[in-house]
Amino acid sequence: MESVPASTPTGPGRPSPPGRPPRPQRAGAAGAYAVLAGALMSLIGTSWDVQWHVDVGPDTFFTLPHLVLYSGSAVAGIAALVMVLRATFAQRAGRPADPTVGGSPVRVLGGTFTAPLGYLVAGTGGALFLLYGLLDLWWHSLYGFDAVLNSPPHIALFVSISLTMLGGVIVFSAARARRWGRIGLVLTVPVLLTFTPITFGAFNGLGLPVDPKFAGTVFFAVCLVLMSAITLRHRWVALSVAAVLGVLQLFLWWFSPWAAKFYADYVGLPLRDNLRDVPPELAAGMPMFMLAAALVIEALLRLGRGRGWSARRLPQLTGAAGGVVVGLSMIVQTSMLRGGAGGGPMGRSATSATTVLTDAILGLAFGALAGYLAARFAVLLRLNAPAADQEGR
Amino acid sequence: MHLRTSLSRPARATRRPVKGRARALLLALCVLGAAALLSAPSAQAYTPARPEQAYAPVKIVHTEQVQAGPYHLTLGFSTWPLRAMQSLDFTFAPDGGLTGKSGTFSMTRPGAKAGMRGVRPLSRHPRKRSVWGLDILSLPTAGQWAFTFTVNGPQGQGTGTLGNLTVLDQPGPPLALSWTLCALPVLGLIAFLIVAWRRHRPSRHLAVAGV
Repeated sequence: MESVPASTPTGPGRPSPPGRPPRPQRAGAAGAYAVLAGALMSLIGTSWDVQWHVDVGPDTFFTLPHLVLYSGSAVAGIAALVMVLRATFAQRAGRPADPTVGGSPVRVLGGTFTAPLGYLVAGTGGALFLLYGLLDLWWHSLYGFDAVLNSPPHIALFVSISLTMLGGVIVFSAARARRWGRIGLVLTVPVLLTFTPITFGAFNGLGLPVDPKFAGTVFFAVCLVLMSAITLRHRWVALSVAAVLGVLQLFLWWFSPWAAKFYADYVGLPLRDNLRDVPPELAAGMPMFMLAAALVIEALLRLGRGRGWSARRLPQLTGAAGGVVVGLSMIVQTSMLRGGAGGGPMGRSATSATTVLTDAILGLAFGALAGYLAARFAVLLRLNAPAADQEGR
Repeated sequence: MHLRTSLSRPARATRRPVKGRARALLLALCVLGAAALLSAPSAQAYTPARPEQAYAPVKIVHTEQVQAGPYHLTLGFSTWPLRAMQSLDFTFAPDGGLTGKSGTFSMTRPGAKAGMRGVRPLSRHPRKRSVWGLDILSLPTAGQWAFTFTVNGPQGQGTGTLGNLTVLDQPGPPLALSWTLCALPVLGLIAFLIVAWRRHRPSRHLAVAGV
């Protein structure tokens, strides 16, 4: 893959009529939000499917939650493909590529295609989802319809969906000079933040001393919130991402059990006997107190910038503080949501002094690492469409 | 993830009119996508269907007997022999039916002490409501498992265990191979990040980026 010539962020050559956004930007927004819609469908389908297995049970490949889940990847994948073809034809027509529409254009397959980086990543995620979907079908033919999240093909499918969501983050970051780009990033990051910790279930069987879900939640929550704040460099970005995450959590909390029951009624299946009164599985795993962590991140970032703290140390410091808040808040969350038998969707609750200290130290370590990476990822995202910085401040 | 115009190739010259062809291709793709979605068998999930039509019935191919005090239970398995990680339907049918009876059930892993696993109430099988059971459940490890039942009913409480339930090794390729194959997207993502990192050295741009 190689880079191709890029235009300025105002788009290729032709001036737009006054009061009307240039065409590439309208098409760019449509493509970007189609990817976001697909990612959101995948998340909602996953949450619904998990709740279906908890509340009702019977499974085939052809259930409505599976349809929503698979359609999400199809929508995002087709949108990415259309945008790649659009960029390819534009490049062949001699129009310079616009890096604010999907990111820096790269040549793929020896120059057969010109793919904006964000759409390349999103499309690759969609294609991998199809490929691993076939592998999953073979897996189920061998092992049966086991309702476990962390089988190898399921983890590969979740990683593929995460790749599509990551593509969306790159696409919206490239358009950060535009209002729709900034709003899109604030909407996409919570979807990715919710989804990525699921993949850490792959480590469940290794008997690690650290709970993989806890590690994944702390790491991705801090990394993605901080990355968004540094990428956009606007006030309230961290808090906005946390607020959207809260709204998403409330929605999934209500929707997943409701949809499972509604669909069960629709197909005439009963709910399971002895259902415990526990919160919805996926929504309950999302960090509930992210606003507090985002407040700490926002405050430290402003303080550090205001006082001219070293750019090499500020992200780690901010990440560590955010990590401690997320880590400790997860203990509170686990205690609040535990089931009647001591275990719930968040696992067993343990609030001894040792646990609190251990989780605080782990939060500190994972948060510092997340902060270190978040700043550098933000730099990479900004370099992906550098000229846009002239407008985005 | 880079934008080095100095390394860029010049854009190809237009060889033929592409605007109309591009639009036609985009339209064809949209139509194809819509047709694929609408004609997919999964779209049929919208069609209301009786459960027995929509979901496979529970087929028992092997049974075992357990005596839990005064109660006799017939344990049914939809797959036999059992293999690790291979999911199946289990049914637990007390003589005389479920009316007036309740109970609990626990599974003991190979090498674990009895009662190590959580005790759960006996629930009706979702696809065969006349008996207790477990649907699409797999036992994760090979070895000797034990199922313990406690049944409450008109004749009081009784407990019984089906011990030495042999679970054979998992079917299919070795798990390490499956995990390696399925880790390829993650490895690809890590490789992508390493390439972008080495190309741009983001640590050098932290101050410029306004961190």
